[in-house]
Amino acid sequence: MKKKLLSLVMLVVMGLSVVSFAGAQAAPIEIVFWHSMGGVNGEAITKMVEDFNALYEGKIKVNMEFQGTYDDAIAKIMAAGMSALPVDVVQIYDIGTRFMIDSGWAKPMQAFIDAEGYDITQIEPNIAAYYTVDGRLYSMPFNSSTPLLYYNKDAFREVGLDPDVPPKNFDEILEMARKLEVRDDANNLTRSGFGMGNYGWFFEQWVGKQGKAYVDNGNGRGEKPAAKVVFDENGAGKDILNIWHKFLVEEKVFDYLGQGNDNAKQAFISGNIAMTLESTAALKSLLVNIGDSFELGTGYFPNINAGDEGGVSIGGGSLWALASGDEAKEEAAWEFIKYMISPEVQAFWNAQSGYFPITVATHDLDAFKENILKYPQFQTAIDQLHDTSAEYVGSLLSVFPEARQLVQTYTEKLIQGEMDVDATVAGLAEKINSAIEIYNLTN
Amino acid sequence: MRKGHASAVRSRLTFYERMEPYLFLAPALLIFCVFLIYPFVRTNYLSFFLTDKYGQAKVFWAFRNYTDIFKDKSFWISLKVTFRFVLMVASGGLIVGMITSLLTVKKYIGNAFAGAVYAMPVAIASAAASMSFKMILHPTNGLLNILLGTSINWTGNANWALYSVAAMTIWLTSGINFIFISAGLRNIADDLYESAAIDGAGYWRKLWHITLPGLSPTLFFQIIINIIGAFQSFSQIRLLTRGGPGDATNVIVYNIYKNAFENFRFGTAAALSVILFIIIMGITLMQFKMEKRSVNY
Repeated sequence: MKKKLLSLVMLVVMGLSVVSFAGAQAAPIEIVFWHSMGGVNGEAITKMVEDFNALYEGKIKVNMEFQGTYDDAIAKIMAAGMSALPVDVVQIYDIGTRFMIDSGWAKPMQAFIDAEGYDITQIEPNIAAYYTVDGRLYSMPFNSSTPLLYYNKDAFREVGLDPDVPPKNFDEILEMARKLEVRDDANNLTRSGFGMGNYGWFFEQWVGKQGKAYVDNGNGRGEKPAAKVVFDENGAGKDILNIWHKFLVEEKVFDYLGQGNDNAKQAFISGNIAMTLESTAALKSLLVNIGDSFELGTGYFPNINAGDEGGVSIGGGSLWALASGDEAKEEAAWEFIKYMISPEVQAFWNAQSGYFPITVATHDLDAFKENILKYPQFQTAIDQLHDTSAEYVGSLLSVFPEARQLVQTYTEKLIQGEMDVDATVAGLAEKINSAIEIYNLTN
Repeated sequence: MRKGHASAVRSRLTFYERMEPYLFLAPALLIFCVFLIYPFVRTNYLSFFLTDKYGQAKVFWAFRNYTDIFKDKSFWISLKVTFRFVLMVASGGLIVGMITSLLTVKKYIGNAFAGAVYAMPVAIASAAASMSFKMILHPTNGLLNILLGTSINWTGNANWALYSVAAMTIWLTSGINFIFISAGLRNIADDLYESAAIDGAGYWRKLWHITLPGLSPTLFFQIIINIIGAFQSFSQIRLLTRGGPGDATNVIVYNIYKNAFENFRFGTAAALSVILFIIIMGITLMQFKMEKRSVNY
């Protein structure tokens, strides 16, 4: 009896070891992917990762983890250090670029590209330019966006404006907004002609739109990192804040819609404002949420002044690969990134979100063409980017997250009447400069 | 052996016997050290440094974090905002909790249902409530404006923002106040009310002379909890106003968060935390002093 039991145990042990051995042989390389896409865009990215896992079954398995906002993801990485975290590929926003390069945690894309001889001309040059520093591509552009003007075509028709001619600058916006607004008997605005969220990203874009620099040292892209802001000296900041003052304090075109874009977006969807500013990444979710209630139009992000000749720079996120030293994992990460930017996947991604297809070849795919035919709104963003010269590639600044927050707070101080435009620009510049100074002192 | 040991027990314990109580305390102490004492010491330490982007102390800054804070005008605004907020929330939550529990203390049909409704905010996460209120208080198509027929920018106007956030927080804290005060009310002996009724006391008289003194330990406890809770309110401010407009709702806790996790200036955040700690400690000590005078056990 005892013998029988012993042999049974041995059998089980042997069986288990065979199973685990076999398991070890066939186990796919597992990598962890952190992303910050919620809502409609989150559903799309989940589908893309599932497709990848199906395609590479038995070889590579990507475990995706939603990290909340970009800010939340980078905060985690900053607090713990990327190498201490179980993550191989992470989606980081545009303004985290300088931080990620300085940290040295990431393996530059250029290393993979050089090793494999990957054809980098496949990637949109205007987009790749943003993530290229010292001639090296650091991260792979993945979800790239620019801000756009969104407008309600039905409202345009209703007041006799041409629904195919969106305003190009704030003079035109003001003029059209006056025609578009609707008031009730008590003279309260029930529909504003224009309204926008207080979002620091727009400020950066308008500096570039004026063809001016945000910071010194080659707009933060020079050999030395930026030492101070220059939007106070070159007048860019003043012109932007003048618009805020004019629209909210002098002309009262719309009621303040808070920091960030949530309130503005919601007000636009429900028809309470007829024109608004949002990222291209919101296009799909706007189309879904508006449904049949009105026809959505898209236009270029407006100029501050009629004669501005700069351009928009891209925002959004890119994919960073961790330098783990584990070659198999790094290779798996590279495979995954290549898949995510392949033309077919980018065509799907573009149609499901509104982010640019970052691979040039995407434009030749039928899936992409069909989507553009059905929703011509997607074309505006692509044209806008192609109309922008690569010299307006946008600034890099280590303390951008803080600067963006300060821009929003100081804009509020201006519209609450706490300070005038000049004092606001000066106060803002002083605050950001001291943040840069402390950052440069400690890092 | 046993006999000899017994005679020496008072003066000389064995090593094990001396260590025994500490062994029992060890798990609790360990948790206390890891999650309270170490972070506390570390916060104090960091408040004297500039930190790099990873939050490591980098440059010794002595008291400059503190002097910079005191020189900053927005800190004083933030302090004023915090005190106004705490005052509104702590007293408001207590009053609403008091009223709702007095309303449900007598048995009547629907009493249990009303109680459940009043206690409900306890079960609602402040983040979830904030998201709902974001819709309710929306400037152009919020429910509240539609119901009132107004067009007030509840969270975007500096005159309203703090009251809006405070009102929402009062509602949130009223639940726990309701539960504790209801329990307190049931502990007051019925004969007190009966003898007062025989003496001819009316409702208000009984409330003033029996209910309130009888409740005083509960109320005292609730005031402390409310004040500490109000000082630490965060998610509603993060989600509804982000400290704005301007500095109108920039309470200290949000200021700390902003410095630590948006600006990555952990030194400044640590210094602000120490200041907040001193304020809360001061208030709590003051309350304990007052307790001796006004609380009947």
